[in-house]
Amino acid sequence: MSLQYLKDAVASNDSEKLIRYVRLHLGDGNEAAGRKEIDKAWIEALKLLLDVPATDREFINEALREKDAATLAHLFFYLHFYFVKRSGEWIHDGTL
Amino acid sequence: MAPSDDIANEGRQLRPGLWATINERYPGSMITKDDFVPLARLKKPLSESRLTFISSAGVQPKGTLPFDVAHPVGDYSFRRVPSASTLADLEIHQIKYPTHGALKDLNVIFPIERLQELAAESVIGGLAPNFFSFIGYQMDPERFERTLAEDIADAVIAEGADAALLCPA
Repeated sequence: MSLQYLKDAVASNDSEKLIRYVRLHLGDGNEAAGRKEIDKAWIEALKLLLDVPATDREFINEALREKDAATLAHLFFYLHFYFVKRSGEWIHDGTL
Repeated sequence: MAPSDDIANEGRQLRPGLWATINERYPGSMITKDDFVPLARLKKPLSESRLTFISSAGVQPKGTLPFDVAHPVGDYSFRRVPSASTLADLEIHQIKYPTHGALKDLNVIFPIERLQELAAESVIGGLAPNFFSFIGYQMDPERFERTLAEDIADAVIAEGADAALLCPA
């Protein structure tokens, strides 16, 4: 989708168009695959926290406090791919 | 010459079916431009021309910042790839096309050794110091043209290339 297509969707609050784009992006052009990929990333993240391991809360708080929203959004996409890769079910052909 | 034999001057889309497929998957991503610019003609024989290579395959020298394949709107940067590089110097950062073959032999997508051979055999006049590489996933065609395409074009001219071989991944 072109950027203008996405901006028009934002302007008209067309969430379906926007989430469809996210699914297509994460599923390499396959919306159903993208939906599964999103689920896979969240499941992987959840699994890591079930035993309540010690985590670096200071890092999290500092990142949320100090970094701008666009950087965090960018990181959000990277984290998606990180957890998908960590799951061991890598559907993409290339490398990050 | 029949119009169908002169793509450079006609600007015809070679694979209209591909456009339909891509627009179905990524609506609005394939655009038509009215300001068609014909391809430039060689000013001297190929055997005297210094060639550069421009690729959207996401090939880059090891140790350079990986292309941003996660960004939802694309990466508008490019990498210079020294034309004297060996295959061991290079790697691919891209997840939008099948790279199995390229990982076995990078020449299938980025034929650097073949071009080095053509230069050594004087089939072409030589190679520019650098080739140019980016990833072919950009959702903002205006930004693509204004930044990435213009920057690469400027760099190609600055490096004294007489011709550029364009190769989409």
